[in-house]
Amino acid sequence: MTSNTIDAKMLSKMFLAGAKNLESKKEWINELNVFPVPDGDTGTNMTMTIMSAAREVAALGEDAGMAALCKAVSSGSLRGARGNSGVILSQLLRGFTKSISAKDQLRIPDLSEAFEKAVETAYKAVMKPKEGTILTVARGGAEKAKELAGSGMEDMEQFFAQVLEHSRYVLSQTPELLPVLKQAGVVDSGGQGLVEVLSGAYDAFLGKEIDYTISENVQESRSGSRSSGYQAQAQAEIKFGYCTEFIIMLSKTFNIKHEMDFKAYLESIGDSIVCVADEDVVKVHVHTNDPGLAIQKALKYGQLSNLKIDNMRLEHQEKLFKMSEKESAQAAAEPAEPPKPVGFLAVSAGEGVNEIFKSLGVDHIIEGGQTMNPSTADILDAVDQVNAETIFILPNNKNIILAANQAAELMTDKNLLVIPTKTIPQGITAVINYVPEMSVEDNEVTMMQEIGNVKTGQVTYAVRDTVIDDKEIKQGDYMGIGDAGILSVGQDMLQITKDMVSAMVDASSELISVYYGSDVQEEDARRLQKELEEAHGDCDIELQYGGQPIYYYVISVE
Amino acid sequence: MSKVAVITDSNSGITQSQAKELGIYVLPMPFFINEETYFEDISLTQEQFYEMLKGGADIHTSQPSPESVMQLWDEVLKEYDEIVHIPMSSGLSGSCQSAIMLAQEYEGKVQVVNNQRISVTQRQSALDAKLLASKGMSALEIKNFLEEDKFNSSIYIMLDTLYYLKKGGRITPAAAALGTLLKLKPVLQIQGEKLDAFAKARTTNQGKSVMINAIKNDIENRFGGMTEDRHIWLQIAHTANEEAAKVYRDEILAQFPGYDIHIDPLSLSVACHIGPGALAFACCKKIEV
Repeated sequence: MTSNTIDAKMLSKMFLAGAKNLESKKEWINELNVFPVPDGDTGTNMTMTIMSAAREVAALGEDAGMAALCKAVSSGSLRGARGNSGVILSQLLRGFTKSISAKDQLRIPDLSEAFEKAVETAYKAVMKPKEGTILTVARGGAEKAKELAGSGMEDMEQFFAQVLEHSRYVLSQTPELLPVLKQAGVVDSGGQGLVEVLSGAYDAFLGKEIDYTISENVQESRSGSRSSGYQAQAQAEIKFGYCTEFIIMLSKTFNIKHEMDFKAYLESIGDSIVCVADEDVVKVHVHTNDPGLAIQKALKYGQLSNLKIDNMRLEHQEKLFKMSEKESAQAAAEPAEPPKPVGFLAVSAGEGVNEIFKSLGVDHIIEGGQTMNPSTADILDAVDQVNAETIFILPNNKNIILAANQAAELMTDKNLLVIPTKTIPQGITAVINYVPEMSVEDNEVTMMQEIGNVKTGQVTYAVRDTVIDDKEIKQGDYMGIGDAGILSVGQDMLQITKDMVSAMVDASSELISVYYGSDVQEEDARRLQKELEEAHGDCDIELQYGGQPIYYYVISVE
Repeated sequence: MSKVAVITDSNSGITQSQAKELGIYVLPMPFFINEETYFEDISLTQEQFYEMLKGGADIHTSQPSPESVMQLWDEVLKEYDEIVHIPMSSGLSGSCQSAIMLAQEYEGKVQVVNNQRISVTQRQSALDAKLLASKGMSALEIKNFLEEDKFNSSIYIMLDTLYYLKKGGRITPAAAALGTLLKLKPVLQIQGEKLDAFAKARTTNQGKSVMINAIKNDIENRFGGMTEDRHIWLQIAHTANEEAAKVYRDEILAQFPGYDIHIDPLSLSVACHIGPGALAFACCKKIEV
């Protein structure tokens, strides 16, 4: 028998259940991403956002009041927010808690008001709200709630059932609002995430058996650095420990059936699989706990070359170790120095790109970007490392801009200015155009202008089959992605890259900068440079080692 | 009224033939190239200079010899009562210091102006001095006027390469910081006495707009803003880059409509440190008399 009111204890249970349910659907939501690129996934980002809040809620214990619960949800999710959907989810949660924190018992009108506040807050946080996204789903749910509350409904169970059902309906309509969704044959991933949260909460309300324990790191997140939760989370993310890569030089036939069998086998022992067959070679990449199995299986098809096996857990620990070492070193050398007027903070991945940013005067690098979107808290931690009055933040990824904006709003004792750079080359251009002798305001204007003059193209591989911009994409295909969509697709990386650049260059182009990633051999990059020089005689071609993961090439034209 | 002559050096970009037309005397700067001495615009043309520079010749600049300076003064004083001598910036050369020392023997008849100008802004100083002389000012009055006016000018120079700056050892610590992993086009500034790093750009177009913004900023914050009477001289200078300079003039005119823009080759004593392909944008506040 369910009640028609909700108290703090119930709300806390419902919230935790919502978070757990989202977590359990994380991988599936990741699959809904329109762009089949192996990067910052919606499911992961939303889960990490809500888990940050869930840990704070779990830490409160059973008897916390409504005000404490609301505060935990609001601040936990704000700080943990990462990725665009994560930031929007955090704003929804923050808005939701606004009107209820002073109440002990919530009835339907209270919840309706809270939903309305949630939607209002989230819409405000996004500069150009787009329909067909998580925002639309949230608004649909809130409108239904208002309608039911207006009709005088008192039955809470009915209320939840109908709000949830309507949210699901709105979600199912998102492809009608966003053509890219329709073409890719998916619903909006952020919207799906929200529905999972609501659905989990509803189950808890119904009293279904749910495991409310929130992952291992409760202790850590309650004390110490803002990002400790993030680090532990990041570590927990590594399910398969060895990054395994090799090329099979085929001595037996390897047709489409063999390829599918082989892929299915790899899927049974790991994830992050790439398996690309090209006439007489097959390139293989898999994260697995037993690289030997992958190698044995591959040996059946021919000899192996270019083998590379990295222990990702070890690397990760080393990275954490280095980070803590650095932190303590910095703590020891307390910044007695007066702050300088202006500092720079950039989100970057890849040692080459990091070096470039540092050589241009960036004070601190936040590692992340393509594979791991840093949270608002990560950005705030990094801000602490920069001893400056005004700090320019270069997110260098469109999925990090909102989290950076959120950090700028939360920071009170330093002036944080986000230059909304969507790509690494835009970030490089922004910092190059900084002129120390000009005012902060003038610099902001100049940087904003100049980043608009940089075109970026990035080459990566598709993680699944899909259709975007009328281009059919097969899993394992190479894709050249420009600022506004896919520019080229195919099996030949060099050709794809050249086609992408050709689509970017115009009569006013002067400079083509090529940053090659960690998975590209220098000689291949040199060959690309040579061919680009032949094709675009009017432009200077500059080749740099970027060392970035996932993107074989990041190329800018300006 | 005493008769006042104006002397400057070839860094002003004023050629010997222009000097005759303007009624100004121009002291040629000496260059030692592969251990031979050349005089700018006398025994060394721009073309010859850049050819030798690109060919990797060993080029050194030098001050005019005391003998040549005093000879010119003595010659000019036969016809004039006083001299205003405007050498290149004391921040870039010892010429000014030497001239001040030599002038002590002339009992005030030679006034050396230490107003830290170079190239197109030095040229403007020479023209201003000529104008002031025609209004009846004495050499000392002109010197004081120009020295008070010295900060009313700005030059920004975009380099095509850092190669020559590094080679000449003239790279200041700030400019050295520009030697990053990326190929950049540094924008330097001459403000008062130093040649220093100002900004950096990836492409020529970026560099050109950096300089335009910098000049606009100077006009706004230091020279009293853009006014109807266009009280600012605008100048472009270049090193073996005349075509680009003309294109740049049109681009600048689009943002400074109605202004006159003077184009000159950058003086060779600057060119030998920064190499060919550089483009400079300068401005001077017009003097009020």
